[in-house]
Amino acid sequence: MSDLLILGEHSFASRLLLGTGKFSDVATMVDAVQRSGSGLVTASIRRFNRENRDDDLFGPLSRLPDLFLLPNTSGAMNAREAVLAARIGRELTGHGLVKLEIHPNPHHLMPDPIETFTAARELAADGFSVLPYMPADPVLAKRLEEIGCAAVMPLGSAIGSGQGLATAHLLRLIIENSNIPVIVDAGLRAPSEAAAAMEMGCDAVLVNSAVAAAANPGAMAEAFAQAVRAGRRAFQAGLMGRSDTAQATSPLTAFLAR
Amino acid sequence: MQTISTADFSTDDVAHAIHREQPGARDLAAMLSPAADTMLENMAQRARTLTRRHFGNTIALYTPLYLSDYCSGGCRYCGFAADRQRPRRFLNREERKAEMAAIAAMGIQEILLLTGERSEKVGIDYVEHAVREAAERFHAVTVEVFPMTSSEYARLVNAGCTGLTLYQETYDEKVYADMHRWGPKRDYHARLTAPDNALRAGMRNVGLGVLLGLAPATAEIMALAAHLQRLRRRWWRAGFSISFPRIRPEAGGFQPPNPVDDRMLVQIVLALRIYFPDVPLVMSTREAPSIRDNLAGLGITRMSVASRTTVGGYRPQLSADNATGQFQVNDDRDIETFTGAIRARGFWPVLKNSDAVYRDTGAGCPAQQR
Repeated sequence: MSDLLILGEHSFASRLLLGTGKFSDVATMVDAVQRSGSGLVTASIRRFNRENRDDDLFGPLSRLPDLFLLPNTSGAMNAREAVLAARIGRELTGHGLVKLEIHPNPHHLMPDPIETFTAARELAADGFSVLPYMPADPVLAKRLEEIGCAAVMPLGSAIGSGQGLATAHLLRLIIENSNIPVIVDAGLRAPSEAAAAMEMGCDAVLVNSAVAAAANPGAMAEAFAQAVRAGRRAFQAGLMGRSDTAQATSPLTAFLAR
Repeated sequence: MQTISTADFSTDDVAHAIHREQPGARDLAAMLSPAADTMLENMAQRARTLTRRHFGNTIALYTPLYLSDYCSGGCRYCGFAADRQRPRRFLNREERKAEMAAIAAMGIQEILLLTGERSEKVGIDYVEHAVREAAERFHAVTVEVFPMTSSEYARLVNAGCTGLTLYQETYDEKVYADMHRWGPKRDYHARLTAPDNALRAGMRNVGLGVLLGLAPATAEIMALAAHLQRLRRRWWRAGFSISFPRIRPEAGGFQPPNPVDDRMLVQIVLALRIYFPDVPLVMSTREAPSIRDNLAGLGITRMSVASRTTVGGYRPQLSADNATGQFQVNDDRDIETFTGAIRARGFWPVLKNSDAVYRDTGAGCPAQQR
């Protein structure tokens, strides 16, 4: 049975998205991408280097078969820069799916909700399928849905922090209320956290640091792929309810006549 | 800033500091103290984990271009000081173009433009022209020049300048007064507040630093950390980085009063990485290959490469008659050799990590307000 992730007019078999920054070399990156089974891999437009092939992320990724390259606007400080970067990304890749990232503070890299909303509105109106990286804010998620985003990408915790699903209670609210896919992006450290996000009902997860900074990135990519599949399967199977007390097999109120 | 005596710390204090979620000033002092000497390996383990988490397996590269060695300063420790008897030169437009072409030909996308202190020959107009030319060729253009006013910095930002490097040299006011004998650089406070001027003008990145060897290192690093903290609370959109150049032998034969040995340099790098997990730490070719290669990814995330510290140094015919640089380069490996060494250690030497094509200049980058 097919269980596809639908983003705009594109569909993907894998629900694991991979980021490509922070790898030690092209071969390690390509190996991780392939072993992740991901069909959707994102790269920053600022790391497109047409003058030096050894330093270019786009070349090696675009040569991989069956891989959809998702440009992202990381490095953009405001809506204007992000919109321009997205347009360059569309020219580079030939499609309008873009991961919108605006983080004005280059240290903690937290997304700017105001600039993100502004840019998303402009890009959606221009025909882009916008995937905005955003704070785990349930109201902002609905606002971004209203203006036509193809999905929302709330953060589990800060980029590169490895703090996992620190925003779990907010993510639940976002998922419950969303009519578009919810992709948890950033902060995941362990495959178990990716599984937890999927069990919660997220539609996909994106990881980068957790794979790139692992001792064995290729093996970690495989582990994340398995975790995402397991979490998705568990979500579809329907988790049993949680209770603080044991559920007696012989109910204590059985004597009551019905 | 409160004074913390580093003699009072124990190895327990250091162990505690290393693993705190958000180390404070006391923790930084502990990690810089003599008690940390036996804990360097523990610090290195933690520093490597934090560096990897925030920067991945990458090292960002840039190359400096010395535009001029004219100087109005009287820094005791500098080979370019105004009273040194040496032929002076500055690059004219054609020469700048040729030097930039030589640097670009190496594949470098980020350039650092340097001059001496403000002089009649080399002032704001000159620097602005050089920035504009560099911005046509490089994705990132930073300057290490004389302190300026906000409106002067705004001219550089509008010309395409993305970053400012400005070392206080020493935060010790007495030592500062002793080292900077005359000229505009004597003004400690003008130098201290120049980064604010640049940030007010919309400068995106500011690199701070101390010249290790002038005043006792621990107090210097503590003051530098406090300076950076203050700046980043105020100018929250800006990126910051830290350098800690050690005084090298240069033309004047200056002997540093508080020399920093390799072990202490490493302790400083590790302590700063643990204290500031997300701040780029920079190391230039002043340091030897063995230090640079070993500290890459252990804390250092940004490095200069294939540097010439002479004016006109990228083309042999120009550098021959002007062979004395500002300081002696200790790592003279060419770009292929250096990036090969970095790759062999498992790091991606990143030549391009920004894009001028979609960058707002000046007016577009919101001037930072408080």
